[in-house]
Amino acid sequence: MWWYVGKRLLQAIPVVLGATLLIYAMVFLQPGDPILALFGEKPVSESVKAQLEAQYNLDQPFIVQWLLFLGGALTGDFGLSYSGQPVADLIGRAFPVTLKLALMALVIEAVLGIIAGFYAGLRRGKLFDSTMLVVSLLVIAVPIFVLGFMLQLVFGVQLQWAPATVGGDASITRLILPATVLGLVSFAYVLRLTRTSVVENLTADHVRTARAKGLSESEVNRRHVLRNSLIPVVTFLGADLGTLMAGAIVTEGIFNIPGIGNLAYQAVLRGEGPTVVSVVTVMVLVYVVMSLLVDLLYAALDPRIRYA
Amino acid sequence: MPDMTPLPGQTIYVAPAADTPLEETGTVDTSAPPEGQWKEAWKQLRSNWIFWVSAVLLVFIFIVVLFPGLFTDINPRQAQLSRSLEGPSAGHWFGFDRQGYDVFSRVIYGARASVTVGILTMLFVTFVGLLTGAIAGFYGKWTDTIISRIADVFFAIPLILGAIVLLSSLNNVWSNRGYWGGVLAVVLVLAVFGWPQMTRIARGAVLEIKSLEFIDAARAIGATRRSNLWRHVIPNSLAPVIVTATVSLGVYIVAEATLSFLGIGLPPSVVSWGNDIAAAQSQVRSGSNLHVLFFPAGALAITVLSFMLLGDAVRDALDPKAKKS
Repeated sequence: MWWYVGKRLLQAIPVVLGATLLIYAMVFLQPGDPILALFGEKPVSESVKAQLEAQYNLDQPFIVQWLLFLGGALTGDFGLSYSGQPVADLIGRAFPVTLKLALMALVIEAVLGIIAGFYAGLRRGKLFDSTMLVVSLLVIAVPIFVLGFMLQLVFGVQLQWAPATVGGDASITRLILPATVLGLVSFAYVLRLTRTSVVENLTADHVRTARAKGLSESEVNRRHVLRNSLIPVVTFLGADLGTLMAGAIVTEGIFNIPGIGNLAYQAVLRGEGPTVVSVVTVMVLVYVVMSLLVDLLYAALDPRIRYA
Repeated sequence: MPDMTPLPGQTIYVAPAADTPLEETGTVDTSAPPEGQWKEAWKQLRSNWIFWVSAVLLVFIFIVVLFPGLFTDINPRQAQLSRSLEGPSAGHWFGFDRQGYDVFSRVIYGARASVTVGILTMLFVTFVGLLTGAIAGFYGKWTDTIISRIADVFFAIPLILGAIVLLSSLNNVWSNRGYWGGVLAVVLVLAVFGWPQMTRIARGAVLEIKSLEFIDAARAIGATRRSNLWRHVIPNSLAPVIVTATVSLGVYIVAEATLSFLGIGLPPSVVSWGNDIAAAQSQVRSGSNLHVLFFPAGALAITVLSFMLLGDAVRDALDPKAKKS
């Protein structure tokens, strides 16, 4: 088990290195001088330019720039943004907000998706099942920004049940509406996954055995059908946390949430190279860690799987 | 139907042996070759109403994409500011937006950009993914390691985040790209971050097929490794690849709309659903003028839904094992 974890971590190293190099190349290997762009129309003296270039390592060859960035990132130092703030501080402020938002979305989609999927699976082909199938299709087909926008309009502007935008105060109550929007698409997937899994398990041998030994229907459903159906769902949810955090960019834009997606988006628009590469690096790390956790979770939940 | 009342001395009816003779029920015709996977799948597909619904919708959408002029003779770029934000009326079913564009005409002409991006990205991703995945799975060893690790690198970068970074860099190098340049840029960017998923699917399928006996048999009668790969392994691994490709089409159309919504996808001059939805957002703020948002969003949703339903139907037809619900 620990050997497996070690192996996976070793395998993750080239992935993280490659992904940061790739994103670094996309941001910094292009024509145009970011320092000149900073000054816009104003003239820049050679000495100021040289000093700034040295400060952001822009005078070094590309590979050296990347290595210096990596070295700093290892110690949690992402350097300065072009506007002079430490990027680590920017991320440190934005990351908890997005994490909170993504976790709330995860809870919402898990609770609603599992309950709805469980009952839809038990009553396959009935009204509730068909309704849920249609709802899930609609939620997947209508883009998240349209859904988010409609919910913002109805609940935030018309009914005023929730604040229409979040702004600086990202408390749990203010995040409920955006978290619901963020979790909607995954809710549809959780629902379909749970339903398929429940339908499959209803005819499984161990469920027939449970019935044969005289357990009540509700007990069979709860303890044997539901629990076994949750294995693929839980692993989906684990992998989904990374997707939610990266996908929060749209939701954060609609509801004006100062999270990591907004930070990345604004940085891209302003040509803030150091911030962009740092945020993407953090998201890649989140993905790598979550996929390792999911595999371990899989083994913990399903005794048929053992990692040697 | 025989009389099924229990005989005297019996509590339930048991048929006498003479009433249930073993009959010959016909033999399997071994002289005719078994029906192929594709014919079998087509038979399945034909009897699935979901397939027909989505197919009819998609044919209609393709006609709109190819011949938008059949449906409207109003120029989507002709602004009538005097009719700005006017609601639906007889000659203008979907009303006007703030610029005074006819929304119906925009929805019709916007189909082209969205659907083209989806299809081209899907083709690109399928081609690259199938090739790399098949080679990795078939040759194994270090070939597999190298291809898989490279795929992992691209897979680790989130699609939308990576796409906006690459697109904004592309803007610096290739700023004035026009209609088809704009479409191509979005296609390339989505394909760059989309191919590893297909590589994984294709690799898995090839690994499964390559260990089957008929591959050894082909090898035994003298097929070279390469001809084995192209003539036997790849054709037999296509089913999961096609299923993934169909479903992912909808995903790429949504991704394009998302990028355009973020203001970084297709240039604003391109008439597309994503651009129109993005523009609609500021026009609907107060809850009026909903038609400006509703129609492009609805068209997008119906298109994505059609591709997804088609994908579901194809999956049911090609992969009987997956047909559980």
